[in-house]
Amino acid sequence: MSHSKLAGIFNKDEKKVDWHDKALWFVRHKRDLSVHQVKGWEELRNLGHGIKAHTLSHLDVYLEQFEANALKNGVQVHWAANGDEHNQIVHSILKADNAKKVVKSKSMLTEECHLNPFLEANDIEVIDTDLGERIVQLAKEKPSHIVLPAIHKNKLEVDELFQEHLGTEPCDGDPQYLTGEARKHLREKFIHADAAITGVNFAIAENGGFVVCTNEGNADMGAHLAPIHIACMGVEKIIPKQEHLGVFLRLLARSATGQPITTYSSHFRKPGKGVKMHIVIVDNGRSKQLSRPDFRASLHCIRCGACMNTCPIYRRSGGHSYDATIPGPIGSILSPGKDLTKYSTLPFASTLCGSCSDVCPVKIDIHTQLYKWRQIIGKETPQPFIKKKSMAAMGKIFSKPSLYGKVGAVARWALRTLPKSLINAWPNIWGKTRDLPVGPKKSFDQWYKERENNKKTDQK
Amino acid sequence: MDSRDTILKKLKANKPEFIALPKINPAVFDENIDKVKEFIRKTEVAGGKVFEVTDNKEVLSKTQEAFPETKVNFSNLDDSGFFNTIDSESFKNPHELNDLDVLVLESTLGVAENGAVWLTDNDIPVRVIPFITKHLVLVLPKENIVPYMHQAYSAINPMDLDYGIFISGPSKTADIEQSLVIGAQGAMSLTVFLK
Ligand code: SF4
Repeated sequence: MSHSKLAGIFNKDEKKVDWHDKALWFVRHKRDLSVHQVKGWEELRNLGHGIKAHTLSHLDVYLEQFEANALKNGVQVHWAANGDEHNQIVHSILKADNAKKVVKSKSMLTEECHLNPFLEANDIEVIDTDLGERIVQLAKEKPSHIVLPAIHKNKLEVDELFQEHLGTEPCDGDPQYLTGEARKHLREKFIHADAAITGVNFAIAENGGFVVCTNEGNADMGAHLAPIHIACMGVEKIIPKQEHLGVFLRLLARSATGQPITTYSSHFRKPGKGVKMHIVIVDNGRSKQLSRPDFRASLHCIRCGACMNTCPIYRRSGGHSYDATIPGPIGSILSPGKDLTKYSTLPFASTLCGSCSDVCPVKIDIHTQLYKWRQIIGKETPQPFIKKKSMAAMGKIFSKPSLYGKVGAVARWALRTLPKSLINAWPNIWGKTRDLPVGPKKSFDQWYKERENNKKTDQK
Repeated sequence: MDSRDTILKKLKANKPEFIALPKINPAVFDENIDKVKEFIRKTEVAGGKVFEVTDNKEVLSKTQEAFPETKVNFSNLDDSGFFNTIDSESFKNPHELNDLDVLVLESTLGVAENGAVWLTDNDIPVRVIPFITKHLVLVLPKENIVPYMHQAYSAINPMDLDYGIFISGPSKTADIEQSLVIGAQGAMSLTVFLK
């Protein structure tokens, strides 16, 4: 389904859309307050960009270095070309130790690979332990935001879900009570887990370690209690040295929520006593994206979510309208790289206002890339009939000034004279939820010339 | 060819021409902040409490004052015998630490700009313990507070680290309608004693 159709579904609940819009704008606002307190913020962003660009230009070398160091640290390293292989690898690790109960902290990569349904089909229980992800999991939905997975749900919905699945008392959506109950429920799961899966925020080539950031402490609760820890990462998560964490940890949380750092920034390097540690390194389309000069910078992304919070379209269309693991502006430049036809409407889900590029901590030129995808999509994928015809007609009109003048006069007359039912008839999607203005009598051109003439007469 | 080689080969073929690695110059970010003041401010914003004390004895007495009714306590400060209700035997099965009420640990590094306190395997008897405890108490010498993350990483030897963690404030979440709730899956409170 196209982005606009899916957005239409989200837009049915107007009150919710309003709340969603304001809540995310508030997060953007907190980001602003936080970054304005940092001296040299722009330099920090430049560094973030520069370190990532350098790393991509040396990616194979750093990955090999990372692998060699991780092996020395006693960690097993696996490579997966795509999502299926990733899932098979994770499953085989679990199967080898007969692990049946898995706790998982936030990992957009495992979402991207559809790991949960795969493991469940193989009789393995997977519990998402980030509260937002647990809510979404109980609701049998997908995260709608990469940092705030359940931002599309209101507290009454959570209340109902917990009553049904966790046996809680009705509480009118009291967040304190509901969080407390989730804590108890998840504690049980942590204590009895056979394995923990985590994502990776940054993997360090020079020492084979990796960093995981959370506010809840769920990644550590899982990874330290279970006898197996599997960390899953995309190839682009690598950074050359530990000192680069100084840049990225300063950028990440401030851009995400306005916090100066997440509550927990865990640096895993060697397995703890009695724990087997595995790292799965995944390509799944990333090497392809690296081959596209116009779009490779999308691999700089550190998944802070700032571009979503600021996006006027995302805030009003909801994360699910992008029908992809990574929604919002960054998702709209990543997804077409994976499937141009399926995601052909996403680069159009933008006003090209550029706010995403302004807030991006690693300076990805998101809105420029959106524009570039549009050029490619216009050429390579079939466009809706009306859009194609109207664009062709507009092209002709704009290229001939005399024709433009004539059509303009007719349009102004039509907007003044014709009934709304005709103006907003079905081919005019714009008119579905808006009214066009009343047509002015004069064109801008006419008005301007008259004004100039009047000036001259005045001067005489 | 297995996936490892295929992936590496593709990355090598598809990567752009070499781009130089920029150098980090921490002086660019330096604002000459009052490190202790900033550390206290940021810890409090993150939901933690900070007290200034003279020695470890005061830490333990203040901790007892703050958490008078607790049953299971552990501190790895020297002379904590009177405070501790469990010993290192209990760490053999960390799953049983679920009823730990108060944990006191000593740190050697803190960061002013974000209130983060650094702990490594050297400071933690068993990795899960700062997360599984209900209340976490950390002791930090004032002179070990550095201004920014850049200085913090200069103080950490990457080759000599098995596991390390920055902790800033208590565990928290805002996943239900963006309302901040303290005490998600990790510790429900954080107290830092500066000495
Ligand atoms: S593209 Fe930039 S702003 Fe968007 S999530 Fe990634 S890092 Fe954050």
